Amino acid sequence: MSTPILLPGTPISASLLPRPNKSGTLTLGPGLRHTPPQTITTTTLGTLSTEPRKSALWLEDLAGRYAPSVNDLVIAQIHHSSTDSYSCTLTPHTPFALLGQLSFEGASKKTRPQLKSGDLVYARVCQAGKGEDVEIECLNSATGKGEGMGPLKGGTTFDVSPGFARRLMLGRKKGGVMLLEGVGEKVKFEVAIGRNGVIWVDSGSVRITVGIGRLVQDCDRGGWTLEEQEKAVKKAIKDMS
Amino acid sequence: MPRESEPSTNARAFLLQALREGTRLDRRDFDAFRPINLTFGDEYGVADVSLGKTRVLAKISAKVVKSSEDRKFDGIFTISTELSPLASPAFEVGRQDQTEMLLSRILEKTIRRSGALDTESLCIIAGQKCFHIRADIHVLDHDGNLVDASCIALVASLLHFRRPDFEVHGEEVHVFDSREREPVRLSMQHQPFCVSFGYYEGGTIMLLDSTLLEEQCREGEIVVSMNRFGDVCQIAKYGGAPVDGLSMINCTMKALEKVRMLDQLVKRKVEEDEQRRDAGGLMAELSAENDR
Repeated sequence: MSTPILLPGTPISASLLPRPNKSGTLTLGPGLRHTPPQTITTTTLGTLSTEPRKSALWLEDLAGRYAPSVNDLVIAQIHHSSTDSYSCTLTPHTPFALLGQLSFEGASKKTRPQLKSGDLVYARVCQAGKGEDVEIECLNSATGKGEGMGPLKGGTTFDVSPGFARRLMLGRKKGGVMLLEGVGEKVKFEVAIGRNGVIWVDSGSVRITVGIGRLVQDCDRGGWTLEEQEKAVKKAIKDMS
Repeated sequence: MPRESEPSTNARAFLLQALREGTRLDRRDFDAFRPINLTFGDEYGVADVSLGKTRVLAKISAKVVKSSEDRKFDGIFTISTELSPLASPAFEVGRQDQTEMLLSRILEKTIRRSGALDTESLCIIAGQKCFHIRADIHVLDHDGNLVDASCIALVASLLHFRRPDFEVHGEEVHVFDSREREPVRLSMQHQPFCVSFGYYEGGTIMLLDSTLLEEQCREGEIVVSMNRFGDVCQIAKYGGAPVDGLSMINCTMKALEKVRMLDQLVKRKVEEDEQRRDAGGLMAELSAENDR
C-alpha cells in the first residue's frame, strides 16, 4: 500500500497516468472524472490503481457508502411490494431500488416467487443513473438464466465495507484475501457476497456461520496481510470444530 | 428520509436460533458487558463512554441563575438528551421519537428524582441565587444500549465536574473564576447506574448490554437502576411480552453485581484522571479547604 491516499477532488498529475493504448485512448474506471480537455479528478476517497496493459486507471475505494453501478451483484432486502415490483433496500436509509416481480428465472404471472418484507435476494443492478430509480433484477436479461441469483433462505448477513466486499469477490490473487478459500478447505458452507457491503453466510451450524462472519469482519477492520489471514483462518477452524 | 432499518428475516431467525443454542453473535456471555472505555476531556465535566461501538459523550456546565419560587433552598439540575443523525440515520433533529423519550425519562428518574445530585448544595442565597447545573448527553454512535452508556457517562461527568467556588458577604455574592480559586466538586449523595435486560422466548433468555440487532429482535426490555448499596431507584418495563416476578427479582440481583462493577470502574477512572492532573502534588496546596 505504498500509493498515497487521494482525497476527493484531487487532480491527477500527468506522471501517474499510464501510457495510452494503440487508439490513443485512456480508460477511466470508477472514482475518476474527466473534465475536458486535460484534467482528471478524483470523485471519492481511495488509492489510485493503474493497469498498463489496458491503459486503464481507477480508484480503489477505501470505505464509505456504496453507490450502485450497473452489473454489480448485490444483496438486497425487500421492504415492501407493490403491484408489479418489490421495493428493496441495498443500503439502509437510502431510496428504494425496484425489483420487478417477474425478474426471476422462469417466472410467469402464475409461478413467481412470493417474497415478503424482510426477505433477502441476490440480484444484479441493471439500471443505476443519477436521476432515475435504481433497478435490480434476479436474472441475466440477456440469457434469461438465474446464474445463482434469487431469494436467499436461512443463514444470516454480515456487514463489511464495499471495498472489502469487492476484494473478497476477486479472490486470492487479485484481491489479496484468502479467508473464504482457506476456511472452505476444511468447513462446508455457502456464501454470497454483495458489492453493497453485505455478505450472506449459511452453514449447518450457528458456530460455523458466526465464526466465518467474525473472521470476515475482523479482517475488514484490521486490514490483515495474507500471513495474518492464514493464521486467523487456522485459529478460527480450530474454534469452529 | 429517516427510516428505521429493519433487520432481514434471515438475520432475525438466525439470532434467535443462536440464542436458543446459547451463543450470542459476538460470542459474549449472556450477562457480559462489551468492553467499556471511559475517558475524560481536558475541561472538567466532559466524559466520553464507549460500550463496544456505542459511544456517548456527556458534558456538564454550571450557571448562576435566580432560584425558582417553589424551591427556594434548592439549585436546579436539568438533563438534556437530544438524539441527532450523528448517532444513527434513524433519528431526526427536532422530532422526539420513542427512543429519545424513553432515554430522557429513565435518566430523569434515575439521576434527578433519586437525589443522586444534592441540589441543596447548589443553593447560593436562598430564594435568590443558585446554580443551574445542566447535563447535555450527546449520542455519537448508536449500536444498542444507549440507556446504560448514557447513565455511565452522566454519572462519570458529574463526579468529574467542578463548579466555581463562591463567597457570600451579607447580600452580595462573589463567584470566583477558576483562575482565582480552585473550583469545587459537586456533592453527590450516591451514584446510580442503569442496567438494561433484553428478553426473548417469553422471558427465559435474558441478555445484558444488547447490540442494535439484538435490540431490534427482542420481545421486551427491563431497565433496573440502582446504586452499589443495593438501593433500587427505578425499574422500568415499557410494554413487551409479560415476564414473571421471579425473573424480575433475578434481574435485580444480577443488576446489583453489574452496578458494583460499573461503580468501581467509574471511580477508578475518575481517580486516575485526578492523579494525572495533579502530577506535581500541588492540588493539596491550591485547595482552600481546611483539614479539620
